[in-house]
Amino acid sequence: MRQVFAAPSGSVSQSSPSGNPAEPSFAGQHLPRRGLERLDLLLLATEAIDLNGGEALVLISEQLGFGQIFASRVELWTRRCHNPLRRAARRGSLKPLETDALIRILCAMADRLYPVLRVMLSKAEPAEINQQRWELFESRMAQLVGERMNPRRGAVHALLDPQAGLAQRRRLIQSLALAAGNGGFERLRASLLDAAA
Amino acid sequence: MKTILRFAQLSCRLQVEGLPDVSVGQSGDVVGIISGWSLQWAGRPELEGRKQHLLALMQVVLPYARYLLSGVERPFGTPPAQPVEISPHPEGGHQLVLHSSQADTAPLQLRLDDAELADLVRVLDQLRLDPRLQLALDLPEPKPLKAFELERRTPLGQRLAAPVGGLLALALLTGLGLLLPVPKPQPGGTPGAKTSATPTSLPLTPAKRGS
Repeated sequence: MRQVFAAPSGSVSQSSPSGNPAEPSFAGQHLPRRGLERLDLLLLATEAIDLNGGEALVLISEQLGFGQIFASRVELWTRRCHNPLRRAARRGSLKPLETDALIRILCAMADRLYPVLRVMLSKAEPAEINQQRWELFESRMAQLVGERMNPRRGAVHALLDPQAGLAQRRRLIQSLALAAGNGGFERLRASLLDAAA
Repeated sequence: MKTILRFAQLSCRLQVEGLPDVSVGQSGDVVGIISGWSLQWAGRPELEGRKQHLLALMQVVLPYARYLLSGVERPFGTPPAQPVEISPHPEGGHQLVLHSSQADTAPLQLRLDDAELADLVRVLDQLRLDPRLQLALDLPEPKPLKAFELERRTPLGQRLAAPVGGLLALALLTGLGLLLPVPKPQPGGTPGAKTSATPTSLPLTPAKRGS
């Protein structure tokens, strides 16, 4: 079956070019506190999906040429510790160059994990098998959050709550799927720079 | 010579046909003029259209994905200005509506789950970033959302709870205040008589010297 999709001619404006846009106006801004929290939680979610995620993040960082920014895995780790929800959170903010590199690494990691992310989000998959995948992800996520995050923070409590945190954990997977690849970088960066609600 | 660009994901496949724009010096396998495109969905009708329809699809789907990343589910696309609409489906997932200019053709409605939406976003991203596509696309730049845009994440009931509660409390207090009796004036006494009975200042008579 084929649907010819046609609209009134001239109904869509075609003016200035922006196919591959130049650097956006908000480039160079520091990530706010919420942005740092989300970025680290998204990286943590990739680690929950991939058992070897920590090593994969280091490898991707080297492949993308971020060896000068993150000279070692410890450097990568300390940058992530700027998340205020961490047990041993570091003060201060990250440089835009560092946050951009972390976002690039996350997008590349999400691209690598995209088949798994897609299966988790798909309604076409057998419900029972998908349920097992989600349970596995949630147990790993809970373990990682319990190890690394400050349990006294309300946001950590909410994330670990089996029912209240369900929507948030699903949103993490959805965000990873929509941010996967090079095309997701600008979207995710803009999203992490959102104003405080 | 016609060039065909193909981008495939598990649930959909996008094919764009075009030619190099010789007037601006293009040649080889680049696409400067889109002559047609098709989007094939697994188990769904195939879509076809011209360049402006593909652009309309990108102009609503990519911003919708951008807002979803911030947790804001809001519709995009306003027919008839834009022939494509996308909005959250009330029963979960996303609803893509494609309006045809042909009078006898009803709008095509597709309900997508999160995985199918991600697939669609990926093929559109692949097309947008393909170096072989040497064409100006008028797409909105992803921007950080303002605080008022993020308020959509909170359900309307929760957003209105505080102001409505405040107004109710104010109305209740006003009503209670009106129930209090107005103090009645005392019988036989006037305010002027009371003040004259109790002088508050000394008489302005100069004191005599030597007394």
